[in-house]
Amino acid sequence: MKQLIALSMFGLMTLGGPALAHTPVCACYDNGDGTVLCEGGFSDGSSASGVGLLVYDGDDKLILEGKMNEDSEFEFNKPDGDYHVIFDAGPGHEVTIDGSEIVE
Amino acid sequence: MKSLLSGVAIAAIAMTSQANAHFQLLYTPHVMLDKAQEIPLKLMFGHPMENGHAMDMGKPVAFDVYFKGKKKDLLPTLKPIMWTGAHNEAHAFETSYKVKRNGDYIFALTPAPYYEGSEDIYIQQITKSYVNKAMPTDWNEPLGLPTEIVPLNKPYQNFVGGTFTGQLLSGGKPAAGVECEIEYINPAIDVEKNAFSKDASGPVPDSAMVAVTDPSGLFTFGLPRAGTWGFACLGAGPVTEHEGKALSQDAVLWIDVKPFQ
Repeated sequence: MKQLIALSMFGLMTLGGPALAHTPVCACYDNGDGTVLCEGGFSDGSSASGVGLLVYDGDDKLILEGKMNEDSEFEFNKPDGDYHVIFDAGPGHEVTIDGSEIVE
Repeated sequence: MKSLLSGVAIAAIAMTSQANAHFQLLYTPHVMLDKAQEIPLKLMFGHPMENGHAMDMGKPVAFDVYFKGKKKDLLPTLKPIMWTGAHNEAHAFETSYKVKRNGDYIFALTPAPYYEGSEDIYIQQITKSYVNKAMPTDWNEPLGLPTEIVPLNKPYQNFVGGTFTGQLLSGGKPAAGVECEIEYINPAIDVEKNAFSKDASGPVPDSAMVAVTDPSGLFTFGLPRAGTWGFACLGAGPVTEHEGKALSQDAVLWIDVKPFQ
């Protein structure tokens, strides 16, 4: 959290505006080699390093849990069958992406 | 004496108020994307506000896209096309680019110097256009071009009634007292047919709209109308001669303006 705050501060300094517009942003891509890459961030340009990423199967069962790395990225093995990804930046700041939308 | 005369000629051209500025276009129709997609890029040289004569482009010197500080050469991807202007056809170029990752994509074109016979000078407009996907990254950073306009407002998100501020750099340093001409693309653009519409209904002011950069190289312009607006800061670059003739090395920047609704 401390790191996130420090990074937010950094974003604040580089963009020179208060980090108020803080809509979470997440996009995932099928790497075509059996892995999926998700990248996150916020609409004000601040980093999503340390933000949780949850992967659920078609029955809504949590099958994988991770955190965005320092580049605000998280890579995981593509699940078989239906799945969806939740980028979890806190209450009211979740982004859900269905596996069917994750393409190469 | 000859060079003094051509200097005077350039000054005369730069100070003449005529609403027929040359503008290097670097155009794609949608500049704020929310999904990965392939975007068309059209490179043509013309007079976009009065929908005037289209000029032949030579093979560009450089064409790159910058993403998160990394540069990718797009020159080999350029295909020659004929662009249909309202009055004539001219040699132009096109390509497409696959936008995938989130962030700012900065396209930068260094065209071949264009010989303008009526003025007996060469013109080279180093041009930047921006595309954003989902979140901002480095739209505010200079690229290190010989001359460029660094935006102080997001170039892909401006609104009618707002202002746009840019900082003109020459050799990486702020360039003061330079006249920047301001235009918008008046005709409709047919991306499929590589053409401007015959008619353009938007207003064309009696004389060129200009802003002169302040001691910090800054200029600000109030945005009166939605569309694609361009700024061309004339003779801003460090190179002033090409093949024995005067060269006006200009910095061009394109921005997108939408109604605030």
